[in-house]
Amino acid sequence: MAGHAMYEWVYIAAVVAILIWVGAASWDVERIIEEVPADAETIKVIGQQWFWSFEHADGTKEVNELHVEKDKPYRFEITSLDVNHAFNVPDWTLMIDAVPGRINTLWNMFTEDGEYLIQCREYCGFSHYNMKAKLFVEPAVTEAAAASEPSAATTTAPPAQQQQQSATQEQQPSSNATSGAAAGGNATSAAAGGNATSAAAGVTLTILEGASVQGSPDYDPDELTVKKGDKITVDNVDTMPHTVTNGKSGSDPTSGKLFDTSIINGGDKAEIDTATVEAGTHPYYCMVHPYMTGSLTVE
Amino acid sequence: MVLEVKKPRALWEIIFSTHHTDIGLLYIISSITFLMMGGALALAIRAELFLPGQQIIPDPNTFHRFFTVHGTTMLFLWAIPFGAGIGNYLIPILVRYKDMAWPKLNAVAFWMIPVGAAMVWLGFADLGWTAYPPYSIIRAPGPAAELWIFGLKILGLSSVLGSINFIVTMLKCKHPDLPIMKMSLFAWSILSISFMTLVAIPTFAAALIMLYTDRLGVTGFFNPALGGDPIAYQHLFWFTFHPEVYIFLLPAVGMLYEMIPKFSRKPIFSYQSGVIAFMLLSTIGFASWAHHMLATGMSFTEKTVFMVGTLAAVPASAMHVFNWVATMWGGRIKFAAPMLFGVGGIMLFFASGAGGVVNTALPLDFITHDSYWVVGHFHLILMGTVSLTFTGFIYYMFPLITGKMYNEKLAKIHWVAAFAGIIIVFMTQHILGLMGMPRRYFDYLPLPEWIAMNQIATTGAWIVGLSYVLMIYNLLKSSVKGTFANMRDPFAIGEEYYDYRRREPHH
Repeated sequence: MAGHAMYEWVYIAAVVAILIWVGAASWDVERIIEEVPADAETIKVIGQQWFWSFEHADGTKEVNELHVEKDKPYRFEITSLDVNHAFNVPDWTLMIDAVPGRINTLWNMFTEDGEYLIQCREYCGFSHYNMKAKLFVEPAVTEAAAASEPSAATTTAPPAQQQQQSATQEQQPSSNATSGAAAGGNATSAAAGGNATSAAAGVTLTILEGASVQGSPDYDPDELTVKKGDKITVDNVDTMPHTVTNGKSGSDPTSGKLFDTSIINGGDKAEIDTATVEAGTHPYYCMVHPYMTGSLTVE
Repeated sequence: MVLEVKKPRALWEIIFSTHHTDIGLLYIISSITFLMMGGALALAIRAELFLPGQQIIPDPNTFHRFFTVHGTTMLFLWAIPFGAGIGNYLIPILVRYKDMAWPKLNAVAFWMIPVGAAMVWLGFADLGWTAYPPYSIIRAPGPAAELWIFGLKILGLSSVLGSINFIVTMLKCKHPDLPIMKMSLFAWSILSISFMTLVAIPTFAAALIMLYTDRLGVTGFFNPALGGDPIAYQHLFWFTFHPEVYIFLLPAVGMLYEMIPKFSRKPIFSYQSGVIAFMLLSTIGFASWAHHMLATGMSFTEKTVFMVGTLAAVPASAMHVFNWVATMWGGRIKFAAPMLFGVGGIMLFFASGAGGVVNTALPLDFITHDSYWVVGHFHLILMGTVSLTFTGFIYYMFPLITGKMYNEKLAKIHWVAAFAGIIIVFMTQHILGLMGMPRRYFDYLPLPEWIAMNQIATTGAWIVGLSYVLMIYNLLKSSVKGTFANMRDPFAIGEEYYDYRRREPHH
């Protein structure tokens, strides 16, 4: 019975040889790709339910968008503020967990410009499947020119760019999505300054404190009726970023096509100009926390 | 003991029975029921993912609950109990003893399964079967999460009690004239997993308690806000659950050692090789757990250690494959349904093992981790090898248990559909993963290639599901109306290798 043992020994030797080769080759490649170049510029990546925020070395912040230069090495320091997420740029095979209380490091040099997908790759709850961001790799420019770049980026940002938020993206420390969210009070007042002269009274839609918790009261009033042409000031009283985006949910094909405030950081305001919104009752939701819903009726 | 369909017994006689064949049957019937229930959830998930956008599952929360309960059910209510059930049924016979060492304990261990199952299903938690914190601590809603935790606690305890019983039965109660190196390889597989269970389960049992007290807020083991480390949970979890995947697998390996020689009409190529391979896998299997965590940010050295530990376990599995192929080589093979399922299982074992080697190659893990590649990989082993082999063994045991023969033609149709369907679903998911689709996604980008792969996978899944409905029909109809089997040689092999009814070791 065991007389044919020789065949088995040869077979096992072949299997072991293949495994040793796989192990050695993997060790070698991993060793090389983990070595971060000394001149890599650091970008902090922060995942939280359910959006990505980025902080460049010079203090610039971005939300749900990341602009990097081509052919420049970057080191990403990745963490989370709540549950486990994972930072994944599939086109560049970048993938590592974002764990609260810990910083994980990845590095890459992007050698082709373009727009790439960033997605979350660790189950993190309700909107895990929709926790996406965009990576823009742009040809190398000077720092000054880079500051004016976002206006180009604005046109490609996902939330439909309707009325509000002028394209004045000052990349301030407290600013958010270069996609045109009304950062801080500045841009708002700038925009509001331009529009406040119109007759429409200030209707306020408040995003309540604790709105990010599923089941808690979210928008106040939940159902808002305005006249066409009214300006709605969306006041985010909560500490978390939110949006007011038309549609039933992220899967709704009409989402964001009528009105979309984009990311409003905690404590900030944004404006919705209903002059361009067609009459009717429009459901809306928060893109970051899609269980937050309300409805806007324009007469 | 043959299931007396001729003279039915009172239900309470079966429910309160402590005889190993009754308890074995209770395990087998309940595990097949849970296979179908978990399978229904899977079909719903696949139907939802047929197209991007929301289809039949109303919201992401429900979707997350579906995949949590699906995974938990398939692993702890189908795979483990089925292995335990066949073990219960056969081990005392194989070691020539009258029953398990502690029959009442055996009954207690079984009846913990429905209790644990009820907690899992009534809770319907959304934390994923892996229950990673911090989500499972600070976000997953209760009481679903607590029910899941306690349900798993009970199921783990059931496993431990069963393992103790198996070890004592095999080492202390076996017939004095039966040397251990003549004990059947199936018995060896159950002995191996019983030892592995005792070493592996306590870590997760501890982790469950820690999850619970963290949820209560009285401890901060895994909660960074209280100074804890979420990755510590993953170490505890995978220290249990990597060996656990071998615990899922080994009973199927043992069953293949029963079926392959019989249907090849040849003795096993090398009994010693089989025993050594079991021992190797049971020990080396503990050295690779953090290959599930290669993307958590571990140091290069840590990752290398676990890659080596993972690769080191491969030769043991390779030995089993060689053994089976060498047994079949030159044999006059009868491709009855059990053999078809077994051979299909061996082929997919090879495929899933190869995929595993890809996963453990450090740089490649960053491509595959948490993508549909992983979903394809683990389903290929759990469904393609473990479940297909278990299914073949159901058909194999059917005449012995019921005294009747199942419908061979329907069983062959089942095999074709299941084997083809499994390849369609899970190989496609490997490709989908390489295309970048993450797992646990309720909705996905409407990329044409992602949609196409998902639709192919859904079609394959439904084919598999329907083939199992066919099996249930076959088993039920044949138990009631089937022709009586030739109990000496139900499969008309022509020789009598092993008679499961004999308790005399001298035959």
